[in-house]
Amino acid sequence: MRPIRRTAPALIAVSVLMLAACGGDDEGGGGGGGGGEAATDYPTDDITLYVPYAAGGPTDLAARTIGTCLEDEFGQTVIVENREGASGSIGMQAMLAEDPDGYTLSLIAVPASATNPLQGEDVGYTNDDYVPIAAVTEIPSVLAVGADSEYADAEAFFEAAEENPGQLNVGVPGTTTSQAMELKRMAEEYDIELTLLPFSGNAEMTAALLGGNVDAVFINSSQDVLSNIEAGEFTPLAVSTPESVDYIDAPPLAEVGFPELTNSVSVFGLAAPAETPDDVVSTLEDAVSTCLEKPETVEQLGEQYVPDEFIGTEAFRSRIDEIVEVYGPILQD
Amino acid sequence: MGIMDGLGEGFSVALDPTNILYVFLGVLIGTVIGVLPGLGPTATIALLLPITYELEPTSSVILLAGIYYGSMYGGTITSVLLRLPGEAASVVTVFDGHQMAMQGRAGPALGIAAVGSFIGGTLSVVGLILLAPPLADLAVQFGDPEYVALTAFGILLVTYLGTKHPVKALCMAALGLLLATIGRDLVTGTSRFTFDQVELFDGLDFVAVAMGLFGVGEILYNLEKTEKAEQIKSKVKNIWPSRRDFRDSSGAIARGSVLGFFLGVLPGGGGVISSLASYGMEKRRAKDPSRFGKGAIEGVAGPETANNASSTSAFVPLLTLGIPPNVVLALIYGALLIQGITPGPQLIDNNPEIFWGVIASMFIGNLMLLALNIPLVGFFVQLLRVRAGILAAFALLITMAGVFSVNNDVFDMWVVLVFGIIGWLMKKTGFEPGPLVLAFVLGAILEESFRRSMLLSGGEFSIFFTRPMSGTLFAVMALVVLYSSVMGIRRRRQRSQLPGVAEEELRATGLEAEPEGTAGVAATSGRTDGRADDDGVPGTGGGSTRAGGDRP
Repeated sequence: MRPIRRTAPALIAVSVLMLAACGGDDEGGGGGGGGGEAATDYPTDDITLYVPYAAGGPTDLAARTIGTCLEDEFGQTVIVENREGASGSIGMQAMLAEDPDGYTLSLIAVPASATNPLQGEDVGYTNDDYVPIAAVTEIPSVLAVGADSEYADAEAFFEAAEENPGQLNVGVPGTTTSQAMELKRMAEEYDIELTLLPFSGNAEMTAALLGGNVDAVFINSSQDVLSNIEAGEFTPLAVSTPESVDYIDAPPLAEVGFPELTNSVSVFGLAAPAETPDDVVSTLEDAVSTCLEKPETVEQLGEQYVPDEFIGTEAFRSRIDEIVEVYGPILQD
Repeated sequence: MGIMDGLGEGFSVALDPTNILYVFLGVLIGTVIGVLPGLGPTATIALLLPITYELEPTSSVILLAGIYYGSMYGGTITSVLLRLPGEAASVVTVFDGHQMAMQGRAGPALGIAAVGSFIGGTLSVVGLILLAPPLADLAVQFGDPEYVALTAFGILLVTYLGTKHPVKALCMAALGLLLATIGRDLVTGTSRFTFDQVELFDGLDFVAVAMGLFGVGEILYNLEKTEKAEQIKSKVKNIWPSRRDFRDSSGAIARGSVLGFFLGVLPGGGGVISSLASYGMEKRRAKDPSRFGKGAIEGVAGPETANNASSTSAFVPLLTLGIPPNVVLALIYGALLIQGITPGPQLIDNNPEIFWGVIASMFIGNLMLLALNIPLVGFFVQLLRVRAGILAAFALLITMAGVFSVNNDVFDMWVVLVFGIIGWLMKKTGFEPGPLVLAFVLGAILEESFRRSMLLSGGEFSIFFTRPMSGTLFAVMALVVLYSSVMGIRRRRQRSQLPGVAEEELRATGLEAEPEGTAGVAATSGRTDGRADDDGVPGTGGGSTRAGGDRP
């Protein structure tokens, strides 16, 4: 099935292009999905938005919400398709296999999308193959302990960690995630050594913390975690953002002695293949910006997760560059 | 949440028109595939897994659970009427059920099986309600060392329980564990056995492996056999059993319910073992054991009750610990994972609608089955006229479309085909896919928990023995291994003089001599053909404790 699916749009695109080339200017206004005339009246056709993660997750929610809004903005159908696997590499490959005409986009989850190609394996793309369009949501990580923990705040926790290196266990989601890498940097740059226990997802980590089988978790502050904090099951010690956030009552890591540790923030946004025309990218960028002003979209995404200041293509790119610079050396070890 | 609140919510979920439809579909499909030899619950659920992806999580579990316990009813029909078990757990029903049919008492045999199944299923649901929430509360405290102990215990029991050749089963379990290592290492992030294929970074897809081994493997295996039209010899009349039948079988039904419940909870337990154990128990308790095999109604009532009870109680470890006790539950575990729900101690709290909804649906489903079975036996029997070739082609088409739909990935279709061929070859050579698939699922949990335990303890193995829960579990495991080795040696000595009863009876009914006849049996999970001529555990040893607790 796949060869057909892949080649058919390409063939159509090629034939439209050839027609356009042969027919001169008159043919230019044709309604096809070709890349040639995309510049002026993009979009004129359905847009496919790949989600490189499972349906039902936070990335999927972000993609579907923004997809619905783009549909309204453009008056074109946005088809959201989940292509999960290999921490997002499969979905990225699926997007890059199509024409760079703005009709195939992908959700990216930074840092994962940026760190995948840095691990010394061929994941089918590099960080130069895609162009980030705009961030949709931003989810910080939170360092949390259980309700009956002996550590009431970050100071007590890190004091204990300093006195007994490696004695405190912290659950992290996987081993190449930003959470794990920040804690590795904590050991290398600040000499605070924690034992990292990699889990495969929030559900497992939550169970481990509630059962008292880990001392703390460093976890994506997605909705389930926020409800646990609200219910008093989790006590937040610190957040990973450079500055404090109003929905988690805890200081940033940067303010409790780790000024460099500000990178463990998941940013979900849209990306297109690198050769996509600039004006198509800026059309999309503007549309996302408009969407993030709409109350219903913001509410669906979770108000707290929508960045206060819009992160457009340039800001997003420099965020990715920073991550590559900071995590690249750690990952290549 | 109290039990009453929970049940209230459960019924409000289960009585939703959509969910009623899925309960009905589930038990109907279950009955149909139970009737059809060659398609057991395992293969069917494996084939239908991708379809559940489109459903709400609760509806999908309701549907799959319905197929599982529904097939326990359906299997009886062919066992009684045709001496041909429609699925593995109904093998023992053949002994007395078919004899009853020959005596013109097919009706009461089917009737008592349906009534017994209903009682066993319902009692088991009650047991599930009482046992699961406290067990889940306890399980929250379980850390990684406990999970290592539980999964290792599960794999061990699966390879011992209900397998013909423990050595072959161990080989398959080992292969399953190895297959589970494919993909990124959780702790170091390095790729293992991926050969630079991005598709393999996350390991093999469980759904694809299960669909290949059980679904496609089964289809290929069945196609090899020559088709034979089945003739129904006996007429079915007077389905509702007489007062005397009820009196004779009430004890068997009561014992079967309890026995089935506990054997279902056990890793490696499930329908096949509980029906065999119940048969052995009834025969041992009977005043006149010689009646068995000649149409004793207890020999139908007990096992049919037990297999249904166990198919319900098998949900206990899955919904409380997140550990599937047998292959069918492993598939349902997979279905929940596809939906983004990780079964575990928190499932009851986080997804009460799933837990209580499924429980409530089981009450409804059992009621529907009772209503369906008694008047519709004749209709179900007609299904046997469907030619296997048509069924196979249809099933294969659904399989391939289905597996593609889960990840939209052609690679998974290749995985299904490759594992289909492997499954077919395994079946031909007497290796069972059950231990492989279960070890594949449990292997991932085992490895992650083991690695984290080692990180916790700084590489000290003592962590497994110094914690009370995991220490106890490992001690029990050691006892089981020791006991079964001793019993194995003793039995081997006796074997030459005293062939097992079940073996004898199976031979007497001619099941062994007729490989086509056992097709349905081999079809389900491949366990039965093994159990059938295992040296007569239920017959010689009998009893609940024996077959349940220490038989492995």
